[in-house]
Order: sequence, then structure tokens, then C-alpha cells
Amino acid sequence: MKRTPLFDTHVKLGARIVEFAGYEMPVQYTSILEEHEAVRTKAGIFDVSHMGEFIVKGKNAEKYIASLIPTDTGRFDEGKGVYSCLCNESGTVIDDLFIFMNNRENFYLVVNAGTMEKDFAWMKSHLIDEVDLVNISDSTAKIDVQGPESKKIISEIFKSNKLENLPRFYFYYDNFEGIEVMISNTGYTGEAGYELFINNESAEALWNTIIDKGTSYGLKPAGLGCRDTLRLEACYSLYGHEINEEINPVEAGLSWLINSESDYIGKKILSELKEKGAARKQVCIEIEGRGIPRENCEVHFNDQKIGYVTSGAFSPTFKKGVALALVKKESASIGDNVDVIIRDKPVKGVIVKRPFYGFNG
Amino acid sequence: MGSGEKGTKVPADTKYTEDHEWIMIDDDGIGICGITDHAQHSLGDIVFVEFINNILNAKIDAKETIAIIESPKAASDVYSPVSGTIVDINRELEDAPELLNSSPYDEGWIFKIKIKDKSELENLMDPADYLDYIKAGD
Repeated sequence: MKRTPLFDTHVKLGARIVEFAGYEMPVQYTSILEEHEAVRTKAGIFDVSHMGEFIVKGKNAEKYIASLIPTDTGRFDEGKGVYSCLCNESGTVIDDLFIFMNNRENFYLVVNAGTMEKDFAWMKSHLIDEVDLVNISDSTAKIDVQGPESKKIISEIFKSNKLENLPRFYFYYDNFEGIEVMISNTGYTGEAGYELFINNESAEALWNTIIDKGTSYGLKPAGLGCRDTLRLEACYSLYGHEINEEINPVEAGLSWLINSESDYIGKKILSELKEKGAARKQVCIEIEGRGIPRENCEVHFNDQKIGYVTSGAFSPTFKKGVALALVKKESASIGDNVDVIIRDKPVKGVIVKRPFYGFNG
Repeated sequence: MGSGEKGTKVPADTKYTEDHEWIMIDDDGIGICGITDHAQHSLGDIVFVEFINNILNAKIDAKETIAIIESPKAASDVYSPVSGTIVDINRELEDAPELLNSSPYDEGWIFKIKIKDKSELENLMDPADYLDYIKAGD
């Protein structure tokens, strides 16, 4: 089992450690509910060093990226990150990822931990001339600071004007005790916040400095447990749940990622899906009866099965069960009452507008 | 694996199961059951409790599911430590599931059972054995 450079720090903080994507990761330090609330109202710090980072550079770097994703790289901007996905020839999703563009010959990719090796192999197998693909996952730590107070906290440590004026999705390079750190105005919680990338050796010092500066603002260490409830309320996809190699981006509500004219893998199917629509669609369900929906619970409408839950949890913000579900396109829509089958019993729910929790930044 | 758990409470005069339930016998010989301090700590915030349909007054066997308790991310079953008839369930938990976290041996009791065969209690762990059991599991 792998560990991040912050493993000992988590144990010292009393974290409960679980296996996730081959890593021993903190699922919670004190309580998922408390950590969730800290991120929604003050700030939370997450160790997500298990995630993968690849560098793509060289004369043909942009052309190479454009061959892998359905998103138009022409719309990329220097110093900006863009969300997209890697799809296979059938148009289903190999992984979702963030692509930070340093310049048109140098990109920094952030991928999921559980798919990192698969992604790297896939990308390697499609490599073209004059492109270097480098996997820096094992030497790179990633620390997220998320929540309404995160800007104040990060600004206590980094004094750059670039940080002060950094728009959403943009990033810049700063230094922490002489070591380069990449800071992006991005996140996976529905709150304003930053993601910080630094080498493993400096991760603990950076983590401790953020905790020192952040505690008076109400910052708490936050585990993967609340990361999941936060992203679910914000309706962000989690690979392996909302998207996988059986689900295409249109079904998952990600057709907005498909806008490239380049000749990318899966283009034929994806552009057709975008135009004509998919057979299934993602819906947001709020549970009104007693119960908490979980992954794979069936969703019924007028006593017919229309689909299943891809992610479900108790929402700490709304104090009720919420779910993302993949259902037949011509079935229930916003405002319709559905039943979610929880332990063989139908529990009433209603389809609501996405997201449950709008971006608060 | 790491755990922040310190000073786990394990009351005396109480028997324990390998699934981390406890049973205490009251003055009338009725068994009062719940989940242990260790169990509530492992589960984290308990946000939902659901009793099995028509469980009140039901005759059940040992290890039958009586209730389901859920944390934000996972659900777990609560089993009966012994066979018998369920004579009371703690409906207050449906509105205040957090009592299972704050008071697992008292206000967070889950059900009461009229025990069919008291000799079944001998299969359960004493407090010292249970403490060893959870230490071994950590």
C-alpha cells in the first residue's frame, strides 16, 4: 500500500486511515459532519497527494493533447486550467482530468489516483513525435485549501499580487521556503479555494504552515469522507461512479466538454451524441422519505425502473439524503417524484435542478 | 492502522459481541442492547437509524438484523446478540441518531429483548475479553 508524504502527519492528527486507490488515506480526523461544515463556513485543508500529475511538453504538445480530449485546446489560455476527459474510441470515459496550460508547448495534467497508471499507459500508447510525457505523480504532493476563508489563509503565506488577482481556474507559480509551488484557484468542494502542488519533501512544512496560519480562521484538516459529501452536494462527477468506461460524457451531463474540431479519439461517436443526445441522462434526486440513497440503488418512476444511483449520501448541508442517478432519457425530469429503492423498500424522492449546492465563490 | 481512539468505554456487567453490540440485563431480566463506544467511534457521525419493519414484538434469532444505522458514507446492520422477542425499540433514535455517538450505552440504547435462553449469554464476551478483542483488531 502506498502512502503520501503526509501520512505520519495524519496519524499524529488522529486521522482514521482507510485504503483508497492503493493509498492509505485519511477519511476523517474528527467527524465528517464537522469537517464538511468547516469547509462550507470557514476552511478545510486536504491531502490529495495520491492524485496523479503528468507533464506534457514539446513542440507538438498541444496537438497531442488535442488528439486525446473532446475539448477545444484553442480556447485554452496560458496560466489557466481546464476540466476535460480522456475518452476511448467508443466515447466512454477513461478518466476525467484537469489540464493546466503553462504555454502551448507545456501542459500540467492532474488525473485521478485510481486511474493514474491506466491513463499514463493510454497516453503513452498514443504519443506522437516531439512530445515528452513525464509522470511526476510519485514525487508530487497536492494540498487543497478550500472554503470561504481560504484566500485569507493562503495570502498569509504567499504575498504575490498574482495570488491577489488570480481568477477562478487560473494558476501561477510561487515559492515556499525557496521551493517551487504551483497554486491554482480551483477545487472540488463547491467552495472558493486553492490547490497547491509541491514536491514531496516540502509537503509537511507547507501543510504545517497552512495549519498554523489557518487555525485562527477556523481551518480544519479535512478527510476524504467530507471531500466526497462536498463534491456530491456540488454535483461534481467522481470517476468510477458518475463516469467510467461504460458511461459517456453526454450521459454524465458533461456534453459541454465536447467542443473540439480536432481529430480526437472518440470524436465520431461523441459529436454525434452531443448532437442527437444520449439514451440516458444524469439527474439529481433529493430524498423526501426516510432513508439514505447509496450507489446502485434502483430509481423507479411510475413503478418502472428507470435507472440507478451513481453516488448517494447523507447531505450534511441539507440534512437529507441526496443522490446523483443515471436514468433513461425519456423518463422522469425536474419536479417529478421518483422512488429510490433502499434495502428493497421504495423511498420517496424528487428530481431537483442541479446542483444541490451552487458554487459559493 | 492508525486510530485516534483513546479511552474506549467498556462498562462492566455487560456482555459484548464480535459485531460490537452490547447487552445488559435489567432488574426484570430483560436484555437492553446497543452498539459499543468502539463501534460508534469506528462508524463516525451517525445520521440515520432505521428499524426493520415490524420488528417490535417479533421473535428473532441471535444475529438477526434489528436496525440499520448509517453514517454519511456507509450503512451497517445492528444484530441481536441473543434470540428472543423484541419488546421495545428506541424510537427516539429516529429523530436523534446522534445519541448513538454521544451516549452509546445509555440514551443510545437501540432495543430491548426478552431473552429466550439465558445460556446464549455465555457465548458472548466479558468486558475484559472485548477490550482484548478490539485491541487485537486495531
